[in-house]
Amino acid sequence: MPSKDRESSGERERCVTGIDGIDHILNGGVPRGNTVLVSGSVGTGKTSICIEFLVRGALFGENSLYLSVTEPTEKLLKNVIPFDFFDEKLMRQGKLQFIDLPRIYEKLGIDKEVVDMESARKLVETIGGIVDEHRVRRLVLDSVTSVCYGLRDQERIRDFLLRLGATLSAKGTTSLLVSEISSSDHGYSRWGVEEALTDGVIVTGNLERRGDLLRTLQVVKMRGTTHSRAKYVLDLTTSGVLLVPLLKGGSVTGGG
Amino acid sequence: MVEVSVSTEVADRLGGLPEASAIAMRLKAEQYFDAIQGLLDRFAAKKDLEVVYVTSTIPSQSIINALEALEIPIDRIWFVDCISQIMMSQTKRHPHATIVESPTMLENIMLKVEFLLRGHADRNALVVLDSVNSLAIHNNTKILSEFLHILVNNLRSRGAYTVIFSMQEYETDEIRNMLVLVSDETIELGE
Repeated sequence: MPSKDRESSGERERCVTGIDGIDHILNGGVPRGNTVLVSGSVGTGKTSICIEFLVRGALFGENSLYLSVTEPTEKLLKNVIPFDFFDEKLMRQGKLQFIDLPRIYEKLGIDKEVVDMESARKLVETIGGIVDEHRVRRLVLDSVTSVCYGLRDQERIRDFLLRLGATLSAKGTTSLLVSEISSSDHGYSRWGVEEALTDGVIVTGNLERRGDLLRTLQVVKMRGTTHSRAKYVLDLTTSGVLLVPLLKGGSVTGGG
Repeated sequence: MVEVSVSTEVADRLGGLPEASAIAMRLKAEQYFDAIQGLLDRFAAKKDLEVVYVTSTIPSQSIINALEALEIPIDRIWFVDCISQIMMSQTKRHPHATIVESPTMLENIMLKVEFLLRGHADRNALVVLDSVNSLAIHNNTKILSEFLHILVNNLRSRGAYTVIFSMQEYETDEIRNMLVLVSDETIELGE
């Protein structure tokens, strides 16, 4: 159903991710303004999903912003999948922007190793300002886990996430927050509070089946829409992220 | 009575079927290369189809060599090769071949087919599965049935032809039942 028809029928407007498999799972896309945790261990496709979300958004005419915490933009762009729909013009036109968060820390005089409550609030305000200035409709923070390392205690993390989510949602910006977990973690986040404070949780993982390692994706929570909770197998290709249902007929040993 | 060659028979019988058909093709080992020739050279070329050829029987390079010997152009034939990697062979990879690590990675076969079809979304397609018997060596019937069911329905919704090879010498009742369930038509060569 087109986004405007949804609104008139009382359903929330959707932010069509442009990743067909995910839009299908979410019955049309992420509800506009949601803050979604994209959680998974290394090499499971989190960053590729996020970059495609932004590039597709920029191609749809929505200003898109990637906030990189761990990896400098230059290095990130060198290693990202060369999507065949990527157009460098999007960056020149400012439709697709990459900002290294450590530079913002520097400007604000924040010590990223120890971020106090006041600094965390300043950081959210600054991100909100950038979103306003560039009319950002899609945002990725990669990774929220790294930001939380500086915040250290759960109270500060909770406050930061609540403020960030509220700020972005009020501006109608749909956001993906990358959460890095280890393959042995049981929850969906490093600090244990992130999943409760976001509107959605998408989990990527590795599933071992009879010696084969499959990349998987599962939407475990998404406010504002019904969605599939099944596990899917994904492939990272130059055409974008592709998904198919995980086959259930075989013996499955191990989790992902 | 004029004897019809296997390749002509394949092309004639497929030519009468509508788009989006799923066909189980039951053949004998001795008919294998003739059937491929009829399918790729006569049927697909005549219908102007883009071909995705999933091989779990022999390496894609062996099929490419055979096609070259038969002077069949492969510009529009793309291979999903599920056997070369587990054979650990050192052969050079052909630019038209995409590798799936093992025939047990059925989801990855679906993903590679999807990827190749997306690359030629403006064209009608034929997807060949060679063969259900070799896939059955590596997978149990339950997961294989599920795979075929999803794959065939997906291809049907795209309007693509699906041809599933089944070698008569290696068929079991389970395989025959599976093929009846997923295909619209069964063609037995040399009937």
